[in-house]
Amino acid sequence: MASPYRDRTAEFRSLSQTLKKIGGATTAVDQPNNSFVSPKPPNPASSRSEFNKKASRIGLGIHEASQKIARLAKLAKRSSMFDDPIVEIQELTALIKDDITALNMALSDLQTLQNLEIVEGNYSQDRVVHSTTVCDDLKSKLMGATKELQDVLTTRTENIKAHESRKQIFSANALRDSPFRQHAQPVTEPPPWSSPVNASESSQPSALPPGGVQVGNQLRRRPAVDNAPSHHMEMSMLQQVVPRQENYSQSRAVALHNVESTITELGGIFTHLATMVAQQGELAIRIDDNMDESLANVEGARNALLRHLNQISSNRWLMIKIFAVIIFFLTVFMFFVA
Amino acid sequence: MKITALLVLKCNPDGSDPVVLATAMDVSHFGYFQRSSVKEFILFVARTVGKRTPPGQRQSVQHEEYKVHSYNRNGLCVMGFMDDHYPVRSSFSLLNQVLDEYQKNFGESWRTAQADNMQPWPYLNEALNKYQDPAEADKLLKIQRELDETKIILHKTIDSVLARGEKLDSLVEKSSDLSAASQMFYKQAKKTNQCCTIL
Repeated sequence: MASPYRDRTAEFRSLSQTLKKIGGATTAVDQPNNSFVSPKPPNPASSRSEFNKKASRIGLGIHEASQKIARLAKLAKRSSMFDDPIVEIQELTALIKDDITALNMALSDLQTLQNLEIVEGNYSQDRVVHSTTVCDDLKSKLMGATKELQDVLTTRTENIKAHESRKQIFSANALRDSPFRQHAQPVTEPPPWSSPVNASESSQPSALPPGGVQVGNQLRRRPAVDNAPSHHMEMSMLQQVVPRQENYSQSRAVALHNVESTITELGGIFTHLATMVAQQGELAIRIDDNMDESLANVEGARNALLRHLNQISSNRWLMIKIFAVIIFFLTVFMFFVA
Repeated sequence: MKITALLVLKCNPDGSDPVVLATAMDVSHFGYFQRSSVKEFILFVARTVGKRTPPGQRQSVQHEEYKVHSYNRNGLCVMGFMDDHYPVRSSFSLLNQVLDEYQKNFGESWRTAQADNMQPWPYLNEALNKYQDPAEADKLLKIQRELDETKIILHKTIDSVLARGEKLDSLVEKSSDLSAASQMFYKQAKKTNQCCTIL
């Protein structure tokens, strides 16, 4: 996870060194420099360091919690069929849960402290930004740790399921009443991660073959024995409580999110559509102009042709007249010469 | 995706067997001779799960190819037997609806019920038929589905608009060619007819 801040302490130190040297060179600048440098150490030492101390404590706590989660992950992966370190895993999970809740509270305290400080003293913009960044960073680290914990518990449940199925395949019948009773405990709402743990503890007693190997369906055996149904129901109820990664309200929230994002997508698509249609409208206008132009051209050409046609046809009358006159003169010449 | 049964039970907090208040079952896909035993079986499972659901809790139990969802609210417990494909969220919203309807219809009279009540409650049967499709029960699912359809339609629209754009492009080209040709025609006509005026 790339940290959103950069560590520029070294730069700051070198800068202060150079400033001190400059301050040592000129005594006039010395005073303000000293007073510039000296108020800094005592002031932050009081209030800001408290913030820093708390933040560093929280960071340490988060680090420890993530280490514990890594150990838990190793244990969960390692667990084989017969020597499940159940007790240890449960203790560890409970411990981690407590740690995380405590860290959560501490983090919210830190947040309130920061808000208080910001309100009280008019701190420089940089300090405000710094403290907010620190808080956000810690929060995100804590969330990452919680997610890891959930993943670990998921793998653990899957492991247990695999074990159960294997036991089902290889074991014989005879389900007792007791494992059945302890089965339907689990699933409490608030800590969604406790359910796999509870499922683990309840399925352990049924390490005795939980059989009722209902490989076929109950229908086959049903007609066989009348009294059998009760046994079969007990046997077949390998109550593997569906391990819910997200409980009811969370799934609803997720669905609502999806709906919201779909709606925004749709809005984007509509705007896209509108732009395209507008562009195509422009194209249509261009086509229209072109057609008008060509219409005008063709009209003009037609008119010109018509005029000339008229002229030519009217000319023919004149031409006949001219020819008649020429023929008349020719005949006259003929009469005079011949 | 089907619902096999819906039941309403009264669960006693002291852990004794719950009292069945209303049932609706659809066992038509079992053979005729197994139907009654399947009904018995469903009742038994419902009682057991109901007994173990603490008040104010939702619970889902996987049993062979069915999931049994139960929701206990102040001692009134509603359960649904659905197959694996039925979305969990829809089933719980359906159970909520049934619960509200039951309380509206029967008020608080169920609290005093001691014996199993086998009278059919028509609403429950209707609900069983209507809500075979999870979208009916869960508005969110319905909305999501409709939105997806709308999105598909919009995609198709955009494709057709793109095709229209291409056609308009070709039309623009053709019309500009036409206007150029007509201009040439006009000039030609003027030119040829200028020399004939002499004659």
